[in-house]
Amino acid sequence: MSALGELGSLRGKKTAGQKKDNLAGYLFLAPWLLGLFLITIGPMLASLYLSFTDYNLIQAPKWIGLDNFTRMLSDERLHNSLRVTFTYVFVSVPLQLAIALLLAVVLDRGVRGMAFYRSVFYLPSLLGSSVAIAILWRQVFGTTGLLNQLLDVVGIDGKGWISDPSTALGTLVVLNVWTFGSPMVIFLAGLRQIPSMYYEAASVDGAGTLRRFFSITLPLLTPIIFFNLVLQIIHAFQAFTQAFVVSGGSGGPSDSTMFFTLYLYDRGFGNFDMGYASAMAWFLLVIIGIFTAANFLLSKYWVFYDD
Amino acid sequence: MRHIPRALTALALATTLLAASACGGDSGGPGGSSDDAGGKVTLRFTWWGSDTRTKLTQQVIDAYQKDHPNVTIKGEFGEWSGYWDKLATTVAANDAPDIIQMDEKYLREYADRGALLDLKKAQGLDTGKFEPDTLGAGEFDGGLYGLNAGINSFAVVVNPAAFKTAGVAIPDDTTWTWDDFARIAAEVTTKTGGKITGTGTLGANEAGLNLWARQNGESLWTKDGKLGVSPEKTTDFFKYILKLRDQKAIPSAEAVSQDMNAALDQSAFATGKLAMSFIWSNQLVAFSKASGQQLKLLRIPSADGKAADNGSYYKGSMFWSISSRSKQQKAAAEFVNYLANSAAAGNVLLAERGVPPNTDIRTEVTPKLQPADAASAKFIQDIGKDLGDPSPAPPVGGGQVEKIIQRYTTEVLFGRQAPDAAAKAFLDEVNGELK
Repeated sequence: MSALGELGSLRGKKTAGQKKDNLAGYLFLAPWLLGLFLITIGPMLASLYLSFTDYNLIQAPKWIGLDNFTRMLSDERLHNSLRVTFTYVFVSVPLQLAIALLLAVVLDRGVRGMAFYRSVFYLPSLLGSSVAIAILWRQVFGTTGLLNQLLDVVGIDGKGWISDPSTALGTLVVLNVWTFGSPMVIFLAGLRQIPSMYYEAASVDGAGTLRRFFSITLPLLTPIIFFNLVLQIIHAFQAFTQAFVVSGGSGGPSDSTMFFTLYLYDRGFGNFDMGYASAMAWFLLVIIGIFTAANFLLSKYWVFYDD
Repeated sequence: MRHIPRALTALALATTLLAASACGGDSGGPGGSSDDAGGKVTLRFTWWGSDTRTKLTQQVIDAYQKDHPNVTIKGEFGEWSGYWDKLATTVAANDAPDIIQMDEKYLREYADRGALLDLKKAQGLDTGKFEPDTLGAGEFDGGLYGLNAGINSFAVVVNPAAFKTAGVAIPDDTTWTWDDFARIAAEVTTKTGGKITGTGTLGANEAGLNLWARQNGESLWTKDGKLGVSPEKTTDFFKYILKLRDQKAIPSAEAVSQDMNAALDQSAFATGKLAMSFIWSNQLVAFSKASGQQLKLLRIPSADGKAADNGSYYKGSMFWSISSRSKQQKAAAEFVNYLANSAAAGNVLLAERGVPPNTDIRTEVTPKLQPADAASAKFIQDIGKDLGDPSPAPPVGGGQVEKIIQRYTTEVLFGRQAPDAAAKAFLDEVNGELK
């Protein structure tokens, strides 16, 4: 409110100097603005148009109205890809956040060499969506991979984790959970914000560790949890690289790792059906939009702001 | 802030590039034609294949550049699995390589959409030494869109060392049936205590189904570009794969599904885990290099024990195509001419891409073939008298069939779908892809 007021008063009296400043500001913004319009908004609008067309990448697009969207209703592989994606999001995000929170709380206790641990735990987040890690994952979970060699030592017969449709998605969930570092760092920052006097007061009243965690830490951390939740859900919906590399681009075995984004890619570039792929991209945008909006709506029931 | 999905980025990129190319128009611009003989020309040349192929191809490029100092050729190569995605993207972005190694499966797809040059109109490309049949494979609607780069045939590859370890005799491939094949493969697995498995699976690509269909009076594709295989025969095919699994003639479902995405050099057969597998005859060279073994090719088993009825045919292993949007069409055609018609290139490439279709080059090269090349060339020659009709080329949209059959083979092997259900779903899905 007050910011708006300030803005209004600024508008009222612009000196020549300020105008010059603004120009400089826009100039500095220009590279980003150009990028926004040329590489984000422009192509997005183009893909919105393409989503109403039959476009095979080589010949000019043909307008077909809503056909692409109605086709989605009866496309069973698309429905399967939605199931796979939702499973991935709803299993991996809560797990990842729980682990991130747990480790953040432990590290916040003032473990010696905390900076070191923080970096070590954060590292997977930087690497997690890279091709190199996905290739590593194939090695770890392959039939002769590291995991099976370890299991072999304890006398368990391993299996091809990434090549069995019942476990392949699980390995990707583990991969996503493993990148708990970035929400963890945010949790750590959040924990620092909680005034220590609350804990002191609670201790005096005889509250134990668990009680302090559930009655002080958790409620005061809800805005941070909310923030992480929104980010990680969006992130998980958009997962692509891991599944693409681990499955060798096929979304296999038996479509068990065929994420929505992967199927979109397959339709567009594998099947030359870019109109349909564009329609799918917009559908995904709507899904993510709905989830984000729902998150914000529901947040009033559980997120607690201290101020 | 977070990652925009890669697919979206790719989409965005493709559309931007397309928009940019639209602005560019067809103005040609400087360097638009290579008529000025002294001018520098840069050609881009893309192919898929193993390390062996890449080394040989690079040798030919180097030799060509030495003879043509004004021409620079940039090789772009990769594994089969990622090759087609990349090609689609570059073509869409109007950034297609000038010379494209093309497969039968995608030839119509690209040609029908005007992405490939009619080689009959290309200057400097001579096809006089090609037999009509081998030329025909790349020809339709009155144009020549792919020049046959080698002749191959689907075959069973055998690792004699594995058979020796198992104490099993290598069978007579002129009389063996599918039952013999399953029995022998199972025997290898049993006698080696599972250390070596009998064979790689059928159904890792569509070629096996095509031969299966041809042995039963059908074919995967019809001449008018439709599916030609019935649900009954497809069901039998999947049932047979199940039989292979149950007799332990093939590896576990997991191992099979993992192998479907493996690069040739790391595949189960190349790493000595299998005694037999299904390959294209020209791949014998790459598999021999990768495995370090002297390998042998056998004919595909038949339903009735007569090799002449096993449905085999000569296939164009791959084709040379030129992008219709190439600005260096003449230079590109000259290089393709060199690849196809010069003894210098033939002596390096030998039979790695299949037996040379140019009859002069074939005669020239034959005495120089190394053991593996010679074996695959001899195989092609030997089966010549027993061949069936040529197999119709896949229609537009047929390129997807390989991925689709892999998926249903996996479904069947994991027991997630019964053979008849898988057959029906497979055929429905392939039909849905045809345009």
